[in-house]
Amino acid sequence: MLHRNILRSCYRVNYTPLSTINQRSLFHSYAHLSAKENIEEKSPEDLVKHSHYKSNPFDATSNKPLQKKPKNDLLSLSQYESGSYQLPQWKNALGELVIKYFKLDMDRVRAGSIAGSYYYSLCRSPGLQYENEPLSEAAKFFYEDLKLPRTFSQWFQITILHEWILFTRMRAMPFKYGRNYQQKLVDRTFSDIEMRLFEEMNVTSSRISDQYLKDFNTQLRGAVFAYDEGLYTDDATLATAIWRNLFGGRKDIDMIYLEAVVRYVRSNIYVLSKISDREFATGNFKFVPPNETVEVLTPEHELELKQKVIEKYEAIDNKPDILPSERSNLSYKN
Amino acid sequence: MSKQAVKDAAKSMVKVLEKFPEERIKHVISFKDVQIERFQKISGAKMSTGAEAQKPSISDIKDIINRTSKPLGLSSKLLKEMQSSSPQEEFTEVSINEQIKALNNLMANKLKNYYDAGDKIYKPAGNPYYYQRLLDELEGKRKENIFTAFRTVVFGK
Repeated sequence: MLHRNILRSCYRVNYTPLSTINQRSLFHSYAHLSAKENIEEKSPEDLVKHSHYKSNPFDATSNKPLQKKPKNDLLSLSQYESGSYQLPQWKNALGELVIKYFKLDMDRVRAGSIAGSYYYSLCRSPGLQYENEPLSEAAKFFYEDLKLPRTFSQWFQITILHEWILFTRMRAMPFKYGRNYQQKLVDRTFSDIEMRLFEEMNVTSSRISDQYLKDFNTQLRGAVFAYDEGLYTDDATLATAIWRNLFGGRKDIDMIYLEAVVRYVRSNIYVLSKISDREFATGNFKFVPPNETVEVLTPEHELELKQKVIEKYEAIDNKPDILPSERSNLSYKN
Repeated sequence: MSKQAVKDAAKSMVKVLEKFPEERIKHVISFKDVQIERFQKISGAKMSTGAEAQKPSISDIKDIINRTSKPLGLSSKLLKEMQSSSPQEEFTEVSINEQIKALNNLMANKLKNYYDAGDKIYKPAGNPYYYQRLLDELEGKRKENIFTAFRTVVFGK
């Protein structure tokens, strides 16, 4: 019940102008980039759309007509995860009492609703697609612009790319909290895959679903390892990791696609690096979509942004009537 | 004339690809080898035997199979079909030059330098030596032994 409350508040914060960290207005360009090829002015989608390379990649989609099943684009059928659900007052009050008297660590408790629910929904949605239905804007970038096959496995690859981007920030949180956030995200991924395999992919045997889950687990480990290597070393290594995993190692790859995805990844990690632990842990982040450009902050804007965040969280922490569920020990100054 | 221009552009692409960094560990497919082969075909150059000479040994294959599963969970029949299918693509001089530019951008590390995430990401507070240990292991500088591996599994870092 408390999860729902926190989740709702983080959604609300997310759509207010306060969370404008990923808006263009706060990202002004540094003039220090020596190579002036307007590299900073193009969004990943622009890069891909301006490519003159024409290809028709091998399509791994089976195109078999699927048995019509009720689609489930919701994260879960639980009422606590629905955006319109209002928690009854007495449940809210009881929850606050439990937190206060049992001295629950809200930074640990929050991981379930933020990483396991909100962040997972962010990672899951860009790759979602259904037969005979129009694609979302983010899905158009992946399936139409990058010409990726419209398969379940491809959806998984898109999802783990986004999850890994979040992992890089979770590692920068204090260890016990970051680890917990990672665990919740991965747990939710596999429980959702299991549900989708049975409900949407017509898998009827748990033996077969277990095989798929093991295979997906191997892919997740391999991808995280390869992306980590690429992140720490150089763009070329990151591009090859993306080519092997996201593009399935296809021969007829457009190098501009690789550059666009590397840009998408690095720009999102840059935004994450500018967010404090408190903001990230309370769900004040959403991915910068591929059709938007992230510009680097000037030192003045970075300072201004930090100041605003400090003011916001100082006001929350100093509220005399702060609710036990709103408390957090995570830093908002880093 | 234009065909010759495409061939020349493809030759320059091969030259750029030859400078592409080698992978630190062997994977099922190598980006560099696959792409050099692809652009050598377009340039009309005689296929180099370098890729054949570097065929993985049985121990390499066993190692790869132990480490990796089928990419994207595809069936082996479909994988074979994918590998044997010849790419349906059209190149012009302009498009190959774009490829060269994109590859050069990647090799020059432009995006990593531009979107500099800083020590907050590269030396994460929760696990400051995470990436350095990963790289040391990959480059063979420092290997995990049974005790350090056990410690990593139990404590997570």
